[in-house]
Amino acid sequence: MDTPLRFDSLLVHGGLEAGPAGATAVPIVQSSSFAYETADALEDVFRGRAAGQVYTRLGNPTTEALERRLALLDGGGTAIATASGMAAITTTVMTIVRAGDEVLASSSLFGGTFSLFRDTLSNFGVTARFVDPLDPESVRAAINDRTRLLFVETVGNPKLDVPDIPQLAGIAHEAGVPLVVDATVTTPYLADGAKLGADIVIHSTSKYINGSGTSIGGAIIDRGVFNWNSPRFPHFETFHKKYRQFAFTARARKLVHKDVGACAAPFNSFLLTEGILTLALRMERHCDNALALARFLKAHPKVAWVNYPGLEDSPGHEVATRLYGGRYGGLLTFGTGAKETAFRVINALAMVKNLANIGDAKTLVIHPASTICADYSLADKALMGVSEDLIRVSAGIEDRDDIIEDFNRALDAI
Amino acid sequence: MTITINGKETALAESPARTVASLLDELEVAQRQYVTVELNGEILDRDAFGNIPVRGGDTLEFLYFMGGGR
Repeated sequence: MDTPLRFDSLLVHGGLEAGPAGATAVPIVQSSSFAYETADALEDVFRGRAAGQVYTRLGNPTTEALERRLALLDGGGTAIATASGMAAITTTVMTIVRAGDEVLASSSLFGGTFSLFRDTLSNFGVTARFVDPLDPESVRAAINDRTRLLFVETVGNPKLDVPDIPQLAGIAHEAGVPLVVDATVTTPYLADGAKLGADIVIHSTSKYINGSGTSIGGAIIDRGVFNWNSPRFPHFETFHKKYRQFAFTARARKLVHKDVGACAAPFNSFLLTEGILTLALRMERHCDNALALARFLKAHPKVAWVNYPGLEDSPGHEVATRLYGGRYGGLLTFGTGAKETAFRVINALAMVKNLANIGDAKTLVIHPASTICADYSLADKALMGVSEDLIRVSAGIEDRDDIIEDFNRALDAI
Repeated sequence: MTITINGKETALAESPARTVASLLDELEVAQRQYVTVELNGEILDRDAFGNIPVRGGDTLEFLYFMGGGR
C-alpha cells in the first residue's frame, strides 16, 4: 500500500503478507526446521545471501509476521519475538553488556527484572545500579564510563510511578548511552517507541498485546536510531561496520538470541498476532474501566488510599497526561490499611480473579507483598512501592458496573 | 560487463556511471535499509554506496543479518 496506514489500521493489516490459498489470518507454521532442495540454497540462507528460514529457534514464518507488525507499531525498525518478556530483557541486556559493565535502572522495576539485574547478572560480573527515574538529575549523575544502558518502565509495576521518558532519553543520549524502555503497561497504543525517544522497546506480549491470558511472550524492538559506533561499545565495532544502525539487532540475532535459545513458539506467535488486532479497542476499555474503578475506590470509606495515574491528585498524573494522550492504562493500586484486610477483600471477590498477571481481558488482583515480591526485604519492597496493604488491580474489559459491584461487595467483608 | 553477485556471474549493460547504490536500484534488491554490501571482500561504508563505482569483474556480496531476510 502506498499510503501509510494509521495506527488502528496497522494493528489489523500491518506487516501481513498473503498466506497460502488467500489466507488472511497469519498461518501457523508449526515446523522445527525448513528443507532446501540443494546444499547451495541452504548455504546461501546460512550466509545471509538469500531470504529463508532455517530452524525455528532462529526464525519462523509465523513469528516473523508477528515481528514485522510489532516493529511497525513502535514506529519502525526491527523486532525480535522471544519466549517471554523476561527473555526479551535478558537477551537485550546480554547483547549490550559484558563482564565489568554496569546497567543503570529505575528503582521501581517489576520484581522479575529487579531480580535479573541485581541477583542474576551480578553472577556474571555485571553491576546494576538503581536510581529514582522521577529524579532526572540523579539519573544524570549516576551515568559513568562503565554504564552501557539505561533501563526504565513507562509506568512502574506496581509502583505506578510515571517517569518523563523523553527527558530521560535526552539524558541518556547526551552521555552516549542507549535508553531501553519496557512499555508493557502502556503498549504502543498509549505511546510508541518513537514518541518516547526509546532506542530499544521491550514488551511482555503476554499482557495487553495478547490480551486474553493465553500465552507467554516477549518482544525486543530495535528502532535503529542509536549510534553504536562509540568507544563505549568496542564489542559492537564489527556489527556497526556491517549493519550500521541495526548493529544491536544483528548482534542479538547472530549471538545472544541464537545462543540463549529463548525463541517464540509459532502457536504463541499466532495467538499474539490475533491479540494485536483488537489492542486499540481493548486498551480504550481497560483505561475507561480502570479510571471508573479508581474513582469508585477513592470515594469508598473503607479504602485508605488509591493510586492511578488517571486520578488528578496522583503523582504521575501530569506526566502521564502529557505522554499518553489522556489515557492512563489498566493498572491501579489501592490499600485498606493492613495485609489482613487486603486478604479479606481479595477472598471476597467473586468475578475478579486472584492471580499473577496483568493485561488480561479479565479483571485481576494480587497482593504483591506476599506473592510476586515475597522474596524481597522490606527495604526492597519500599523501593518498589510495595506496602503490606497494597492490592494491585489490572482492570479488565468486562462491564464496568460488574467490576465495581464486585469490589463494593468485597469491601463489605471488612 | 560481467560481475559476480552472491557467487553467481551476472551480465549487466555497460554503464560507466554505475555505483553500488544504483546497482541496488537496478537489481531491485529487497529491504535495502538492512542489506550489507561487500565489494571484492571489503565491507562498504553504507553512506558511501552512491560514490563507489561498480566495474566489470567485481565480486559483490549482498548480505542480510538474519536468515529471514532482515
